Amino acid sequence: MTQVEIKDLRKSFGAVETLHGVSFEIPDGAFVALVGPSGCGKSTILRLIAGLEEITSGEVRIGDKVINDVESKNRDIAMVFQNYALYPHMTVAQNMGFSLRLLKTPKKEIARSVKDTATMLGIGELLDRYPKQLSGGQRQRVAMGRAIVRQPQVFLFDEPLSNLDAKLRVQMRAELKAMHQRLRTTTIYVTHDQIEAMTMADIVVVMRDGHVEQVGRPLDLYDHPVNRFVAGFIGSPAMNFLPVSTTRGDAEITLSDGQRLSLPQFRDLDGDFELGLRPEHLRHTPDDAGLRATIESNEQTGSETLLQANLAGVTITALLRERFDCHVGETHGFTVDPAGAQLFDCATGARIVP
Amino acid sequence: MSAKARTRRSNFLIDVALFFICVALLLPLIMLIANAFKTPAEMLQWPPTLLPRNPTLDNFVTVFTETPLLRWMFNSFAFASLSMIAIVATSALAGYIVAKFPFRSINVIFILFLTTAIIPFEVYMIPLYFQVKALGFLNSITGLLIGYLVMSFGIFLIRQNVIASIPDELLEAARIDGAGEFWIFTHIVLPLLRGPLAALAVLAFFQAWTAFAWPIITLTRKTAFTIEVGLANFQSAYTVELSLLSAASAAVMVPSVLAFVLLRRNFVEGIAASGMKE
Ligand SMILES: Nc1ncnc2c1ncn2[C@@H]1O[C@H](COP(=O)(O)OP(=O)(O)O)[C@@H](O)[C@H]1O
Ligand SMILES: [Mg+2]
Repeated sequence: MTQVEIKDLRKSFGAVETLHGVSFEIPDGAFVALVGPSGCGKSTILRLIAGLEEITSGEVRIGDKVINDVESKNRDIAMVFQNYALYPHMTVAQNMGFSLRLLKTPKKEIARSVKDTATMLGIGELLDRYPKQLSGGQRQRVAMGRAIVRQPQVFLFDEPLSNLDAKLRVQMRAELKAMHQRLRTTTIYVTHDQIEAMTMADIVVVMRDGHVEQVGRPLDLYDHPVNRFVAGFIGSPAMNFLPVSTTRGDAEITLSDGQRLSLPQFRDLDGDFELGLRPEHLRHTPDDAGLRATIESNEQTGSETLLQANLAGVTITALLRERFDCHVGETHGFTVDPAGAQLFDCATGARIVP
Repeated sequence: MSAKARTRRSNFLIDVALFFICVALLLPLIMLIANAFKTPAEMLQWPPTLLPRNPTLDNFVTVFTETPLLRWMFNSFAFASLSMIAIVATSALAGYIVAKFPFRSINVIFILFLTTAIIPFEVYMIPLYFQVKALGFLNSITGLLIGYLVMSFGIFLIRQNVIASIPDELLEAARIDGAGEFWIFTHIVLPLLRGPLAALAVLAFFQAWTAFAWPIITLTRKTAFTIEVGLANFQSAYTVELSLLSAASAAVMVPSVLAFVLLRRNFVEGIAASGMKE
């Protein structure tokens, strides 16, 4: 059993605390994504788990063992770095067999597992090449292969796809996912790209400024974000936010320009809030009903229409599933699915649960 | 004139310029070699001849029979080789450590290393001489080496190369995979520093090979001389035996030139590697 448990983890560099008490659990065999803006402490968590930095306080357990004071090499983990960290003076085969060689595995056995892994990753032909003779995607595969060969208890990935071009990134995303389906090794995957987190992970941990904001399954985060930050971070294009006010007993809320929107689930609220609307929850209506917004830009991709429009003084984004021919400066009506609308506390950012 | 013709013409001009620079550089060398084959009489002729009229090997015979020239060359070679090994080893280790283990105490030590670079050797040569004398190492290679074990420029060169070409992740990946620190140094750091270390080796070797001031004060016995000291010995207080000096110098140049030819590639690679990012 290789569940990983992180309890009240703190890390200070000098006098500055970077992680302010992070806790989450990773079930055996799960694929967990740590996601958050750059600088929020994701890599630091990974490096603490890997034993590359010293833990200031708190606890990391792998399996049922506290590994705070265990040396990196005895934690039975493998890490894939953003820049791949392949040894330039070793061939692909030597790179991949590196850890087994250090474990004094017999040469024959090393050769066999390197070959098997390379074949699985589709780099069987490249074993005699040197890293500088490989493309970005191939280097990425070698780095993964090096991690797989040693059959660790836990894989740690630090933004492994961010040096690849967009197309390759999508392809490698699928391959990584498939690899996990096959090996079922507990995996912790760090990324700043919420789409990677949403598409690959069983569990997503959303972080900000050294805190965990929310832990949950990808679609739960999308549907039920705990606060404005998570709501804005998860989903692409990002959620729109508008200041609104409501009075108790009124089934409608009022936008800053006086337009009204019916949201009966918030009938009992009173005061000022922020309304969150996902771009894909907005619909165009041809008659004069709905919220009136002035078009600021219109991008047609063929299958969808991405609009920027000014609604009550705020530029909002709408993602329509149909083609919609309109011009900048025109005013159009938009309806909102009430079930998709969310309200957030202005001061704390917490989502209001109706 | 087409662009191609223009390129060809400017290339031609560059070639001509380089040719004259080569001649200017080589002429003294050619004169030296030619002089080595001249008789003492021809040596003093005016105007001087470029090529010897009656080439003779007498100068070489005299030099090799009357002075321990081979012994001096061996001394120089042993001194330069050992100094090179010591400097390469200390620079590799110290350069790596100051680059990758930036603790405050290590940084202080590094700054001390660098400050030694601005103190000329001549300033502490005499105190060092008394140290070596007290230790009984005068007239020995050990004594010579004491001033040539560490090169602060070497440490600096390796540190810069480590910072530029060995990312932390490479070392961290090895640590996670179970490599010890010494193993990482020998199997990952050293192979990646091959270029700069080779450049440093050439530099260190010739620094010791051409050293003069330190050898001449620590070496007084003729058999302990290095070649530089030995050659200086031809210029006695009364005369300069030019033809003999030329013959000795020409003989001494042979190993230098050989070494350069053999190490030239390393040297160029090393210079290139120091500015190269993979
Ligand atoms: N070795 C270090 N020394 C000082 N500060 C550091 C160090 N490593 C990371 N930090 C700081 O910790 C914060 C989190 O960094 P990091 O974990 O790399 O963020 P992320 O991976 O989420 O982008 C950053 O503000 C960074 O400047
Ligand atoms: Mg990071």
